[in-house]
Amino acid sequence: MKIVFKFIVLILPLSLIFTFYFLLTNNESYPGADYDVFDIPKFELGNLNNDKTLNESSLDKDFILNVWASWCITCRVEHPYLMSLSKKGIPVVGLNYKDEKEDGLEWIERYGNPYKTILYDYKGVLAMDLGVTGAPETFLIIDGKIVVRYQGEVNELIWNDVFLPVIESKDIF
Amino acid sequence: MIVEVSHFLSLLATGLFFLVGSFALLTKPSVYISNLITRTYSHGFLFLIASFSIYVWLAITDNFSVQYIASHSNSQLPTFYKISSIWSAHEGSMFLWIVFLSLWGFIFNITIKNDQILKSNTIGIISLILVGFLLFLLITSNPFQTILPIAPLNGADINPVLQDPALAIHPPTLYLGYVGFVIPFACALSFLINGDPGIKWESLIQKWSVAAWIFLTIGITLGSWWAYYELGWGGYWFWDPVENVALMPWLAATAFIHSLSVSIKSSNLRIWTILLSISVFSLSLFGAFIVRSGIIDSVHSFANDPERGLYLLAFIGIIIVSSMSLFVARLSIIKPSKTIKRFSKESFISINNIFFGALIFSVMLGVTYPLIYEFLFDQKISVGAPFYNAIFIPMIILACIFMFFSIDSKWSRSFNFHFFIAPISLSVISSIITTLLISYIFDTSNLAILISLFAGFIVVYRYVIEIMNSLVMKKYLNPFSAIAHFALGLLIISISFNSLLSSERALNIKINEFEEYKDLKIFFKDIKVLKNSNHDSIEATFVLENQKGRTFDLSPEKRRYFTRGQITTETAIFIMPLKDIYMTIGDQLDDGSWIVNIQINYLIRWIWFSAGLMAFAGMVLMFSKRNI
Repeated sequence: MKIVFKFIVLILPLSLIFTFYFLLTNNESYPGADYDVFDIPKFELGNLNNDKTLNESSLDKDFILNVWASWCITCRVEHPYLMSLSKKGIPVVGLNYKDEKEDGLEWIERYGNPYKTILYDYKGVLAMDLGVTGAPETFLIIDGKIVVRYQGEVNELIWNDVFLPVIESKDIF
Repeated sequence: MIVEVSHFLSLLATGLFFLVGSFALLTKPSVYISNLITRTYSHGFLFLIASFSIYVWLAITDNFSVQYIASHSNSQLPTFYKISSIWSAHEGSMFLWIVFLSLWGFIFNITIKNDQILKSNTIGIISLILVGFLLFLLITSNPFQTILPIAPLNGADINPVLQDPALAIHPPTLYLGYVGFVIPFACALSFLINGDPGIKWESLIQKWSVAAWIFLTIGITLGSWWAYYELGWGGYWFWDPVENVALMPWLAATAFIHSLSVSIKSSNLRIWTILLSISVFSLSLFGAFIVRSGIIDSVHSFANDPERGLYLLAFIGIIIVSSMSLFVARLSIIKPSKTIKRFSKESFISINNIFFGALIFSVMLGVTYPLIYEFLFDQKISVGAPFYNAIFIPMIILACIFMFFSIDSKWSRSFNFHFFIAPISLSVISSIITTLLISYIFDTSNLAILISLFAGFIVVYRYVIEIMNSLVMKKYLNPFSAIAHFALGLLIISISFNSLLSSERALNIKINEFEEYKDLKIFFKDIKVLKNSNHDSIEATFVLENQKGRTFDLSPEKRRYFTRGQITTETAIFIMPLKDIYMTIGDQLDDGSWIVNIQINYLIRWIWFSAGLMAFAGMVLMFSKRNI
């Protein structure tokens, strides 16, 4: 009986500590990341800045696609990091998602524009085809194919762990 | 420059605390050594408090060359919030946590004059814990980091939901409670290290433990109250993981105080008492780990950083495992001398310990199970109110019934139970009548609620009789226990009524239109957009009229803060003695109507009042001359 008691008193905290150790160190996989490869869907959308119509062939071969909206608070948090990416010369295309045009433009004016082009998707058509569930969401597109998809805020940690390995292996940007 | 002085003083304090720890645990005890320990500890504390005071002064004078202050304060803030911005995020709040830890040690250090050996070891253990946390602060989360060469002109502002008086004092109060349990913890360990069963460490620390318990109780209550009116959640408890990690030390502390009273009286239940004293502090540390490692997403958690999590886990793991090993190794010296008589006060308190142990275990399971499940099966599950209700309701009811009978029990004597003595039968019968009346009036047959009400009423009635007896017949009554248990009964009754009667509804309402909810007529009078210095807000005004023709205005708000883009809801609450009418405003729909949430919360203030009454009971014990 006494041995059982001693055993429980020591084993309970120890097992908890080990569980938490595994939980803390098991950070390599990011639940928001997805590496399924698929073609970029066909679309026809306006540009947020002007009324030119854009489609899948008017974009570059390799770029980052970032889904954002002025109502999205996490996008606001993510925004400075996107600015630093575009300063490094990485082509980022924005997909303004279910947003009022004026709000989107005001946001860009207030916080700065990290995007080469901004697709204006008021009804969320392209977003639907991409399987976007919310903003922000970020895609890496190489040769017209989506190779990395990330749901949630992209920051330095996520960039280095999720995107950079793929970018380096393909030797782009 | 000044921030470096503050940084340096902290480093100096760390060094001194390390010396204290080494003196206490590595040298042979003597009068000289214990004098040395006392003085060195006091100096270490002096350096640390000086360092913290300088830091507070830097925050008040808007020194934005300090990175932490620059990212959490703003020159526009009132001085009060400039100070509270220090504990609005991880680094500063950890700093405060450590200062409080050393403060408890300091007060203990200067007030305890006898028991030199026990005291030296206790101070030594506290110092080593301080060293561990100071290193954690300085290495992984340095609040003294500066932005050089050019400091920003203004700070980034405090999180808007924290700009609130209740929240400014909620964390410090809670921290004072958490770290206060370092005193019983360190005392229990030094008792185990000494290995002399004759040492009466229990009576030494009773008031210390109750003091920490008071802070913990008030801290949790403040948090509950704040979440109700500021976050717009509209309830008093949500079984949020971080609420749970505050509840576990509270449960353990409550059990500990009960168990302690037995150990003081008769040296019984010592194993329980020591185990609980280790558990309370371990659970407090566990709470710090959960909040600061970012392992759980919650409104409370600080920014995620795996390095911090690992350091904390390692350090807390060392503390817990080494104290538990010491406990197991010394089990033979704390063996009880006497067996406990059946139906004595001791026996009831040991049953109480088992109840509390089971509750703590269940909460621990509820907190950790989703994490383990996600780790194993890669799926998110959430453990919420149904799980906790299913466990807490029956356990608390049973505990209340045991407590009811324990009132007549005697120390070290078994008692013969008679149902037909007046106080027992009177309170049981009147509780049955009250419960039946409530069931009839409110037309309910919800058994969980009715039995809870019954359990609450027997406790309340029984203590009312006891209090009358003590006032009229001058029968002896332990005021601490009477008030605290009376408050528990009141708490159970308030919670039961709250869940029986409260209701809420989301209304779609257009401007200048009427809606009806329960006996209220709601008129949407006005909506306006306000521009403020740091936020925009939408303020709606409603005129409510109840059946008696009494009218009042409620103006819920929605705010958007500029600096962080954060959207907050400002609730509007009309307070009556028995109920609150609570409104929040949501989004506007396409047809121009607004979604408005209205709640009628019964007896919610009584819940906090009961919790406050428990804390008051603790104060009664603090100021009473005798050990109870």
